[in-house]
Amino acid sequence: MNPGLLSTVQDMGRRQYLSQAVPVSGAMDMASARIANIAVGNAGDEAVIEFTYAAATFTAETNILISYAGGGAVLKIDNHILLANRPVFIPAGNTVRLVNDSSGSRTYLAIAGGWNVPVVLGSRSTCLVAALGGYQGRALQVGDVLDSLDQLSPISKKIFDALKGEQINQPKWTIAPLPGTGTKTIRVVPGMEFTWFNAPSIVNFLSAPYQLSMRSNRMGYHLEGPLMQRYAAKELLSTAVVPGTIQVTGNGGLVLLMADCQTTGGYPRIAQVAAVDMPLCGQLKPGDAINFKEISRQEAEILYLEQEQYLHQLTYAVQSKF
Amino acid sequence: MQAPNNFQSSFTAHYLSEYAVTLEFGEEISEDLLQKISRFNTAIHQYPFSGFQTTVPGYATISVFFDPVLVIRSGLPGQDCFTKVADYLTGLQQRAIDQDVKSGSLVTIPVCYGNIYGPDLDEVARVNQLTALQVIELHSSAVYKVFMIGFVPGFAYLGGMNSALANPRKLSPRPAIAPGSVGIAGKQTGVYPLQTPGGWQIIGQTPLKMFAATRAQPSLLSAGDEVVFKPISASEFKQYNTRA
Repeated sequence: MNPGLLSTVQDMGRRQYLSQAVPVSGAMDMASARIANIAVGNAGDEAVIEFTYAAATFTAETNILISYAGGGAVLKIDNHILLANRPVFIPAGNTVRLVNDSSGSRTYLAIAGGWNVPVVLGSRSTCLVAALGGYQGRALQVGDVLDSLDQLSPISKKIFDALKGEQINQPKWTIAPLPGTGTKTIRVVPGMEFTWFNAPSIVNFLSAPYQLSMRSNRMGYHLEGPLMQRYAAKELLSTAVVPGTIQVTGNGGLVLLMADCQTTGGYPRIAQVAAVDMPLCGQLKPGDAINFKEISRQEAEILYLEQEQYLHQLTYAVQSKF
Repeated sequence: MQAPNNFQSSFTAHYLSEYAVTLEFGEEISEDLLQKISRFNTAIHQYPFSGFQTTVPGYATISVFFDPVLVIRSGLPGQDCFTKVADYLTGLQQRAIDQDVKSGSLVTIPVCYGNIYGPDLDEVARVNQLTALQVIELHSSAVYKVFMIGFVPGFAYLGGMNSALANPRKLSPRPAIAPGSVGIAGKQTGVYPLQTPGGWQIIGQTPLKMFAATRAQPSLLSAGDEVVFKPISASEFKQYNTRA
């Protein structure tokens, strides 16, 4: 394994230790991580490898059943392109390369059974700040060897049996990307301190483009655009924040919190990104411009429940292919 | 976004995200609020609703996390998850009030002050026109209250520092502060659980692990606990290290 810029093992994250300030972590683009899992017959919440951009390679030491989803890279074996969002059988000895594609920034690699790293504090996700979880609590390094859990689901076994052989093999079907993939309009619900900001600031927030600065990572994105002005110089006492919370810093700049964010914060929260649009945010890269669009909390909740139902149905759709 | 209620509610329910509701009990730092929030925290863990996951106490808030798929399928009254959860939590208040005041544990944290363990001890003394010994005495004679855990895993926001010890942050933060370092910033004191960059004035270091993922309760401290610092010598500090 040669992990490229930043590769970590992630799953759906850990919420049980938020009160002890352990970040939730997990895949930045949960939807892609789940689709990659579902494509190999996993339940969806197994550990995946999150690659950032391309330039990574890995070699299959045994016959493996994998799939990938997300953005930022196309997987290739020699000049053979592996198609995303569907399973692929790879015979032992093949080396897979991640080749740059401009569609996003994070690629998720799932393997039948899920990647075999220990469960720490209830999750397999890597928490870099506390050096816990994932592969030895750290980002993957050149030469690391990972294996999958032995226990395959019945559907994973069926897919494996259907595709195995001497050659690289993929089925004809593919899982369609979620609706809205690739759009740059991010839906938000007004945050608890939304009314602390003056009208021109709110108009700017909901109309002007904001650009991801270079100061952007798994903890959060600094956004460049019109600054927010506050009515009152009120102080906010530290309180819970979550990925998707948009904070306004002392100088009026926006910070969008992401998967590895702190559990509490003291900056006013102008808005909360709809959970269904967090996968879009997880695929952004420095320089990308986004726009915010206001929706109600009721709409955000309905979108979330619909997406959960859709992902749930995907599992059955894959089962029906075998 | 206030939850409907039939009696005097001691909090306002706010939407945090699709999967979390924040209850706001007030707007100040006080032991009264800390106690209300601690009681409520005990009550929700004792009487959870279908889909309840966890809580995050803040200074004046507690946020309740849940699985929306389970909440929407639950029999809780209300049209959407926020209403279902907010109404349930409003109804839980009486049970929270009936809770015995669960006093937090008293945790003694041994600290080796000064020298390589506390490189800023002399500066803190100088700024406050005290001797280093007086700083140690003032810092280790108070009983501190843990208001919340935040910032990094296991970091406790402590209340109760003697204001004679207040000190501005360092002009340029250190790139790496050793785990266990005890610092002062403004009117606050705290212990760094992990090696992180930081701008606090470091007056000492504890050999205890403030956070360890291998423990059932990874964070040494929880909201509501009381803390005292006990001065130890460098040789005692080293003995702790060999034991750990």
